[in-house]
Amino acid sequence: MSNVRSTGKKSSNTLVRDLVNVGIFAALYIVLAFLSSSIGYIPALIVFSTGSIGLVTSIPLFLFFSKIERSIPCCLIFCGFFGTAMFIMGQGVLMFSISLLVGLLAGAILKVVGKTFAGLFSANIVMSLMSSSMMLPLWTSTEEYLEYTRTMCDAGYVAKLAELAQSPWPLVAIYAFGILGATVGGLVARRVMKKHFERIGLAK
Amino acid sequence: MKLDPRTKLFLAIVANSVILSAPVAYSALMFAVPAILLLFEKKWKFVLAFFSVYLAAAFGFEHLKTMDVGRIGTLVVSTMMIISHMMPITIVLYYVMMSTKVNEFLAAMARIHVPTKLTIPLTVMIRFFPTVFDEARAIGHAMRMRGIRLFSLRTLKNPFSILEYRLVPLLVSITKIGDELSIAAVTRGLSPETKRTCVATIGFHVQDAVVFVYCMAVVLICYVFPDLVGDLLSRLT
Repeated sequence: MSNVRSTGKKSSNTLVRDLVNVGIFAALYIVLAFLSSSIGYIPALIVFSTGSIGLVTSIPLFLFFSKIERSIPCCLIFCGFFGTAMFIMGQGVLMFSISLLVGLLAGAILKVVGKTFAGLFSANIVMSLMSSSMMLPLWTSTEEYLEYTRTMCDAGYVAKLAELAQSPWPLVAIYAFGILGATVGGLVARRVMKKHFERIGLAK
Repeated sequence: MKLDPRTKLFLAIVANSVILSAPVAYSALMFAVPAILLLFEKKWKFVLAFFSVYLAAAFGFEHLKTMDVGRIGTLVVSTMMIISHMMPITIVLYYVMMSTKVNEFLAAMARIHVPTKLTIPLTVMIRFFPTVFDEARAIGHAMRMRGIRLFSLRTLKNPFSILEYRLVPLLVSITKIGDELSIAAVTRGLSPETKRTCVATIGFHVQDAVVFVYCMAVVLICYVFPDLVGDLLSRLT
């Protein structure tokens, strides 16, 4: 019984473990998010791309949430890395601040609700708001975004984007699909967690 | 020839902002730096392959982007677009990641007072990108051996199964690697509460000054005379 901690302070060994986990899952999340959002390069599927991100990244996120011990700082660093990666790819400061906000919110949910299914599920849905915000500049600063895509895309794609930017409904649809993807993905992830990870002891 | 990690960071930031915001001619000026530096690292084949793919994609994109090419053509053109716009950034990041050893990076970050809570996950993340792709490729081979492909009858019947067959093994192997990594890190005394010492010597030399001055010059020209290089190029051709 001598090694039971009575101070309530978490050991620095688990801190290193948490930090390494943040690094690993951030790398995996960025790769998966880019791969699954690439269906958005087909003009007809732009609106659905956020749904596929939510669907694919749910399982890694569930595992990540259940492995970390310090929810708020870990989620904050995780989302900060994603925001930085988006910033490197040419998104604005808005995306970066949204990611930090989402990280704070998801961490707070995990802290308050705990690592039950409800906590993981709602934190996952909050996370989907972050990946759905990738298209936000098309509505908040339409002209700049179109100018930016015009230098890199062909006329047909830009025309399709301009048509989308006319009304706010596609934006609503983008977020709705993101949340829908995260919801379905969360249900799938729960099954996968039970079937695989809990059985081999990777998650509690 | 070795650059200081801090110079590389500066180069990456400047190159990134110039490539994303300035005309194409400036991004050419910018990614010439990592290309030359890669030649010093004896990566002849890589530089050659990079330039031929980049030139082909950029040339094709310049000529096709204003035309209406139909639905299939749009896919081809957007692939060219991604190649020609992402490759300059990729080569800069590739050079920075390839030539920086982890201990040098950590030492440089500690020198500019970035908290360890940020640098540990950052180094792990940078080290992990190739691992993710390697593992995914190996799992892909294994699954193909069992007849599970991305577009087969079996996966079309149940699209979620592809998530299960490809993602779950990837997650399991990656978490295992991560656990081993954190155990190794703890054994070697990597902790946010202690101050590390480092045997790698980092410091600024002549080459750092050259790269710094060149970057600043490109940025200055870019802001003061935005059309200068484009005019020169059009006069030459």
